[in-house]
Amino acid sequence: MAELQLDNVTKVFEDDDGEIVAVDDVSLDIDDEEFLVLVGPSGCGKSTTLRMIAGLESVTSGTIRLGDELINDKRPQNRDTAMVFQSYALYPHMTVRGNMAFGLEESTDMSDDEIDQRVTNTAEMMGIEELLDRKPGELSGGQQQRVALGRAIVREPAAFLMDEPLANLDAKLRAQMRTELQRLQEDLGVTTIYVTHDQTEAMTMGDRIAILNDGVLQQVGTPLECYHEPANQFVAGFIGEPSMNFFEMELEDGRLVGENFDYELTDEHREAIDGTERVVLGIRPEDIVVDNTDDDTHTYAVTIDVVEPKGDENNVHLTFDPDDEEPETFVATVGGMRRVSAGDRVDAEIPSEAIHLFDARTGDALHNRSMSTAEQSEFEF
Amino acid sequence: MAESTTRRGPGLNRIALYVALLLMVVVYLSPLESGIVTAFKTQQGFFETSPFAPALGEFTVDPWFEAFDRLRSGLVNSLLFTIPATVLSALFGSLAAYGLTNTDWKGQTFVLMLFIAGIFIPYQSVLVPLSQFWATIVNPAEIFAFSDPLANRSGLIALLVTHSAYGIPICTLLFRSHYKSIDTSMLEAARLDGAGIAKIYWRIILPLSIPMFVVTLIYQFTNIWNDLLFALVLVGNPANDVVTMELSALQGSMVGQYNLQMAGAFITALPTLLVYIIFGEQFAEGVAGGGA
Repeated sequence: MAELQLDNVTKVFEDDDGEIVAVDDVSLDIDDEEFLVLVGPSGCGKSTTLRMIAGLESVTSGTIRLGDELINDKRPQNRDTAMVFQSYALYPHMTVRGNMAFGLEESTDMSDDEIDQRVTNTAEMMGIEELLDRKPGELSGGQQQRVALGRAIVREPAAFLMDEPLANLDAKLRAQMRTELQRLQEDLGVTTIYVTHDQTEAMTMGDRIAILNDGVLQQVGTPLECYHEPANQFVAGFIGEPSMNFFEMELEDGRLVGENFDYELTDEHREAIDGTERVVLGIRPEDIVVDNTDDDTHTYAVTIDVVEPKGDENNVHLTFDPDDEEPETFVATVGGMRRVSAGDRVDAEIPSEAIHLFDARTGDALHNRSMSTAEQSEFEF
Repeated sequence: MAESTTRRGPGLNRIALYVALLLMVVVYLSPLESGIVTAFKTQQGFFETSPFAPALGEFTVDPWFEAFDRLRSGLVNSLLFTIPATVLSALFGSLAAYGLTNTDWKGQTFVLMLFIAGIFIPYQSVLVPLSQFWATIVNPAEIFAFSDPLANRSGLIALLVTHSAYGIPICTLLFRSHYKSIDTSMLEAARLDGAGIAKIYWRIILPLSIPMFVVTLIYQFTNIWNDLLFALVLVGNPANDVVTMELSALQGSMVGQYNLQMAGAFITALPTLLVYIIFGEQFAEGVAGGGA
C-alpha cells in the first residue's frame, strides 16, 4: 500500500509526421488507499498516463514515484502494480485458477500450496470459487470481469491500475459492479487509479477525480468540487449529464448581452468578471426554473422544442427561436410528474446564484455558482 | 424458388449436380485407381489389359514387396531428416514470428522484409551456391569426423539444415498472421504479472499456437518429404539416398516396370497421407480460425 506521485509527467510519441504530445506535464498526488478516477474524452491521454504508471509506455520526461520509490525506469514486472484491462485480457488456454495463479508463479517464490491457498481465498472473496476450474471462454462477460479483478487482487499489489474495466458490461451489470468495486477497494485499501471516459463512473466512484483533456490536466478534486466549482469551461461541460448549458455573451454596461437574451449581473458577478469583455455564461439544466418563476429580471419566455421523459425527471430542450428549422436549444430538467409538451410557451428562469461565468477566450472559470442556496450539510469539501 | 423447382421436376437440378460430382470423382480418382490396379498386376497383365481394368487373372502383390524392399533405406533416410527439419522450421518460424509481431524494436520491418523475400527464392537459383557451401565452407563429414554415424550421414545433415532454413520464412509468415490476432493487452497483462519475454512465449504464445503448429507441420512435412531437387544435389553417398531418389531409380533403364513404380509411388506417398489423416481436423481448424 503506497501513495503514488506523478511529477511533470510528459509523454511524446514520435510519429512519421512529427511529434504528438499525448500527456503534457501532468502532476498528480494520489494518497495511500485513495480511489482516483482519471476521466476525459477519448484520446485525452488518460490511458497513456495509466500505461506509463504500469510501465507499458516509457516516460518522456518527469518522474513517477510509488511509495517514495522512483519507478520510471523499472520494468513493469518489478513495479508492484496490477492492472485490469478493458478487454479483461485473460489467458484463454488457462483455467480461472491458472489465470489467477500466473502472476504469483511468475513474480513470487511462493510454494504451489501457498499460491493455491491464496487463489482460493481471493476467489471466495470475489464469489467466483465455483468458476475456478473453468476456462475464460466458458464464462459470461460479468464473470470474466470478476476473474480479471480477482487476478489483480490476488497479487496484493501496492496499486491497482484499471483501464475502463466496466466498459464492456451491459448497463445494469455495470451499475452493480460499480458499487461492488468501490466496496472492494474500500475493504482492501489499495491505492487505485481508475481510467474511464464515463463521467457517471467518475462522479460515483472516485474519492477524487482528475480530468484530462488533450493531455493536459484540467482539474483534480472531489466529484462535487468538480461538479459545482469547475476550474474551467471544459470541466463544467464534461462533468454532469445532461451537460451544463453555455451562452457566449458580451459585457456591456455591467450586464451581459447575448444573441437571444440579456442578463443582469450582481455586484459579485461584476467583480469576478473584472472587465473581461467576452464571457460564457453557464447554467446547469437542473438549476433552470421552468414556470413558477419568482425573479422577473432573470426570466425569459421560451418555447419547448423537445421533451425527453426519463421517468423521474424530464429533460426539456428549450429554444428562443421556435420558428427556426434547427433551433439552438438549451436543456432544463423538470420533475417527472410535470406535464410539459413540445411547442408549449413557458417562462424559464436562470437564477443568478446558480450561474457560472467563464472567460470566453481562455475558458477559465471567473465565477462559480454560489453554494449558499445548497444545503451545506450535504457537501463536505 | 427452391420450392417451385422441386414441385415441377423432382430433382432435375439434383440429378445434374450428382452427375457433375460423379464426373469430378472419376476425373480425380481415375489416375489413382489406375495406379492401384497396375500395382497389383504382373508385368504380363499390365501389357495385356487396359490401364483401368482390374487385375483378374494376373493378380500379384509382389510389386509391393519388391518396391518396399528397394525403398526401405530411402524411407528411413527421408524420415531421419524430414521430421527434424519439419519441427525445426516450424519452431524457428514461430519464434521469429513472435519476435517480429508481439515485440517492439527498431528495424523490425526491415527484418520482416528479408523473411518475406526468403519465401520467393526459387530452389533452382540456389543449387550451385548451396552445393558449394556444403562441400567447401561447411562440410558435415569433417565437422562430425569424430563420430562415424553422423559423418556417414553428412548428406542428410545438409538436407536437414537446408530444409529447416528454407522453411523458416513461410512458417514465420503463417505464424505471424496468427500472432497478429492475439490480444495485445493479454501479453501486457502477462508482463505485469511478472513474465519475461521468454516466459510469455513458453506459457502463453506457444500453447495458443498449437493449431498453427499443426498447419505448418503438415505443410512442411509434405514439402520436405516430396523434395527431390535438393536431395539430388546434396546427397553424394548412395547409402544416404532419400526416398524420392530411390523412387525415381525404380524406373529402371530398359523396360519400364510400371507395376513396381506404381506400388513404389504409393508407398512413398503413404507418410504424407498418414499425416493428413491424423491431423486433418486440426489442420482445417488452424487454417480456418487459427484461434485458441
